[in-house]
Amino acid sequence: MASQNMDPAATAASSTAALKGSESGGSAARGSVTKRLQQELMTLMMSGDKGISAFPESDNLFKWVGTIDGAQGTVYEGLRYRLSLEFPAGYPYQAPRVKFMTPCFHPNVDDQGFICLDILKDKWSALYDVRSILLSIQSLLGEPNNESPLNTAAAELWDNQEGFKAHLHLTFQK
Amino acid sequence: MEELMMESQSDDTPGSGAEPGVADAWETVAAALVSPECSVSDQSLFDSLALLCSHGLGQLLGGWLLETLQMRLSSSVVPEFWCGLKQPENELEERGRAWVLLTAFRTLLDRLEPFLGGLERLGMWQTEGRGDVSGPGPNGLQERAFTVIRALLLFSPSPVLQERVLEFYSRTFSVYMNQEGEAEDGAEAADGPEGGLCPGCGVMTQQCWCQDALQQLQELSQILSKLQLLEWVSSEAVTSILHKLIEQRMEQHCRGEYERSFLLEFQKWLELVLGWLSKVFASKVDTDASDSLVASSSTSIIQANQSGSSILKQWRCHMHQFFCRIYVNMRIEELFSIIRDFPESKAAIDDLKFCLERTNQRQQLLTSLKSAFESRLLHPGVHTSDILTVYISAIKALRELDPSMVILQVACQPIRKYLRTREDTVRQIVAGLTGDAEGCTDLASELSRGDPVTLEMQDSDEDGNDPEDWTPDPTDAVPDKIGSKHRSSDIISLLVSIYGSKDIFIDEYRAVLADRLLHQLNYNTAREIRNVELLKLRFGESHMHYCEVMLKDMADSRRINSNIREEESKLGEEEQPLLSLSAIILSSEFWPPLKEEKLELPPLVCQAMEAYTHRYEKLKAMRTLSWKPHLGSVTLDVELEDRTLTNLTVSPIHAAIILHFQEKNSWTLEELSMKLGAPKELVHRKVALWQQHGVLREEAGGRYYVVETGSSKEKMERGVMLIDSDEERDSNTTTQSEQREEKLQLFWAYIQAMLTNLDSMTLERIHSMLRMFVATGPVVTEMDVNELEAFLQRKVREHQLLVSAGVYRLPKSN
Repeated sequence: MASQNMDPAATAASSTAALKGSESGGSAARGSVTKRLQQELMTLMMSGDKGISAFPESDNLFKWVGTIDGAQGTVYEGLRYRLSLEFPAGYPYQAPRVKFMTPCFHPNVDDQGFICLDILKDKWSALYDVRSILLSIQSLLGEPNNESPLNTAAAELWDNQEGFKAHLHLTFQK
Repeated sequence: MEELMMESQSDDTPGSGAEPGVADAWETVAAALVSPECSVSDQSLFDSLALLCSHGLGQLLGGWLLETLQMRLSSSVVPEFWCGLKQPENELEERGRAWVLLTAFRTLLDRLEPFLGGLERLGMWQTEGRGDVSGPGPNGLQERAFTVIRALLLFSPSPVLQERVLEFYSRTFSVYMNQEGEAEDGAEAADGPEGGLCPGCGVMTQQCWCQDALQQLQELSQILSKLQLLEWVSSEAVTSILHKLIEQRMEQHCRGEYERSFLLEFQKWLELVLGWLSKVFASKVDTDASDSLVASSSTSIIQANQSGSSILKQWRCHMHQFFCRIYVNMRIEELFSIIRDFPESKAAIDDLKFCLERTNQRQQLLTSLKSAFESRLLHPGVHTSDILTVYISAIKALRELDPSMVILQVACQPIRKYLRTREDTVRQIVAGLTGDAEGCTDLASELSRGDPVTLEMQDSDEDGNDPEDWTPDPTDAVPDKIGSKHRSSDIISLLVSIYGSKDIFIDEYRAVLADRLLHQLNYNTAREIRNVELLKLRFGESHMHYCEVMLKDMADSRRINSNIREEESKLGEEEQPLLSLSAIILSSEFWPPLKEEKLELPPLVCQAMEAYTHRYEKLKAMRTLSWKPHLGSVTLDVELEDRTLTNLTVSPIHAAIILHFQEKNSWTLEELSMKLGAPKELVHRKVALWQQHGVLREEAGGRYYVVETGSSKEKMERGVMLIDSDEERDSNTTTQSEQREEKLQLFWAYIQAMLTNLDSMTLERIHSMLRMFVATGPVVTEMDVNELEAFLQRKVREHQLLVSAGVYRLPKSN
């Protein structure tokens, strides 16, 4: 258990050890995070929600890749966005770090892919899970918060839905 | 050599010019040789002989005699013999034919006797030292003579001879056997007198010629042995008679009869037959001993005796061989039936084992048995439990037959393979183990047998056996890595190993146990405890842990229940619960997944449940109950205007339905289905019970009404109908295939998710991801790579998945 004091997100190898459910000593906390994440994965798999999905990127359970399809009836319909989710060792008491990997033209997403969403910041609660995060982001796409935009150009264009959609599809790159 | 003789004859014999005395002497001696009763005195004969020898003609005597014999044979004796044999054609009775046969041989002997006498004489002169008369020794000469006889006589034998001989021997056989105490055959003996036929010779008793036949047999044997024709003429006939008779007897006595051993019986019978054989073959001994025609030395008698008995010994071996082979052939044909009847047919198996060791027919047996299994057992028309029963019998029977278990292993391979394809195999085996299966008690008794064999799937290195005891496998063993020491004969091990894993059985048993516990709904678990203990001995403690917890749940439930009851009884009159509720409290982790069914119970019941839950929470801090409203049973009385149905035990949904009618007299299916939160079809099915009870009736528009008054006659009829309608005993636990489907569904969700997010993956990657991230439990067990590959390929076929160069991805549209 040499890895127990290291950053869990950084070491891929240690997570497998944690997965084995070794509950001894200092790894107990990590074990419970692992268990929680595994449970969340299971919930997500069983829920069968359309348009959202996520899965651990490799054998590291603390780093996931997520996929969100733009909801029907919004300008994002037909577009698919990839996200990365990183879970801190303090999860679920600390929020995961979520960002878009596919460039996303949106009032609340900056050009680095960072998302301005309250539940990922100060409104985070341990009761949220991956599924609720993904659902929130999916709905954020259709209903941006134009009060505090990260991308002002997008915020200004939002009111002109036709123009926004044209620009969005023009600039969309996988 | 013959030509040389001819020459010397033509030179010397008629060449009388040399010395007239010599020619006379030759005449005398030659006449004495071919006609034993000639009147020449010994003295003059010896003088002539001496004269011939002095002229060096003695040596020619033997050659001349042989030549004469040959001439006589081919010119007259042989045609006469055949002619005599054929002459009467078919006009004669059997008896007459026998007579003709004997006469033909008698004549033959008559014709040849002078020559034989002459040969004897020559031999005697030789031994008495009266001169070298026969060339290379007396025996050589006689031998040559017999060879000539055989050659000329049997050079082109007519089939008539074999026919006659066969017929004659068959007849004498039956006569002999009849006389030598075939009395044991009550049936056959009884047949005889009825038809007025002699059982021996098969004609009217007045004309019985049994005695004649035996005398004829003796005479014929004597003649044949004198002419040294016995083996040549008789062997074939005797062989075919023996073969036929053993076969016949076996057909009559043994076919279809597996519960008796026939070895001893046949042994005795064969000894009897040997008696007849001795009459056929050993008569030579008698002849030599009794016939003092020639003064044989005592040593030759002994020799003859020995040769006679050695012939008999040889025949005894032959007979045993015949017997074993015929017996094995028959039993191989019947082996399937023998196995089917096994514990009763043990005698047949033992016999077969004895005989099989003496013949080389294992391969035949294996092939035949395998194909018998395939054609008679392994097809869709046979119930799985029957296949299992036969398999168990086969294990028992074949381990008797072949302690090395090779036959068992090889022959039953198809059964095992086939059972693997049957869906209910596991269920049947488990039912058998727990003694639930009808008509199949073997497994239950096998389970409770002493000194059980622990099921050890991994092979252990410790080898308790003494290396000295090691014996090589029979050559037909299947070379496999298991090796002979692991070739088990334990029935339960064999059955469990059909699938190679005992987990599947334990899971199934858990489901069966859960079902049973949930169906009987009392806390009585004595029988289950016994079963679990027995299974623990077989499968090991750790594997049965879940089941133990389940049983403990039952015991705990009983305790908690009585606790709660006690508390309730302390309550005041008005606080007493309206209905008495007992619960079985399951530790959900350890029970197999229960079928989910939605059912909303009437408020009355819900209140009772809540109250129960409260008491439970008080009893066990930090825990609560989550009810399974659709499981359980309700005992209720239905009071109607004119009648009361008491003590009905029904399922919760039935009870809920009828309870709703308490508040309202009529309901439609839709309303009921809404109230109960259950699908309409289900409600419709369940209402039927009350219709059959005559409590509810359906009217137009799909409304149900309570039948407050009903004729008693109707009730009677309905009571009868009820019996079979309430038989529906659904299993409470999900079945194996449902579980499997569920598991695959779950895996598919994972696979879809990982391919959605990670684009494309190889089979190995998918497999390792699944292994890492799917939490395995009692339902979801790991999937091995091959299974996964097959599953993915199925999905590819269904166009839900794409594969190229070993990399899987989801189709674009998804």
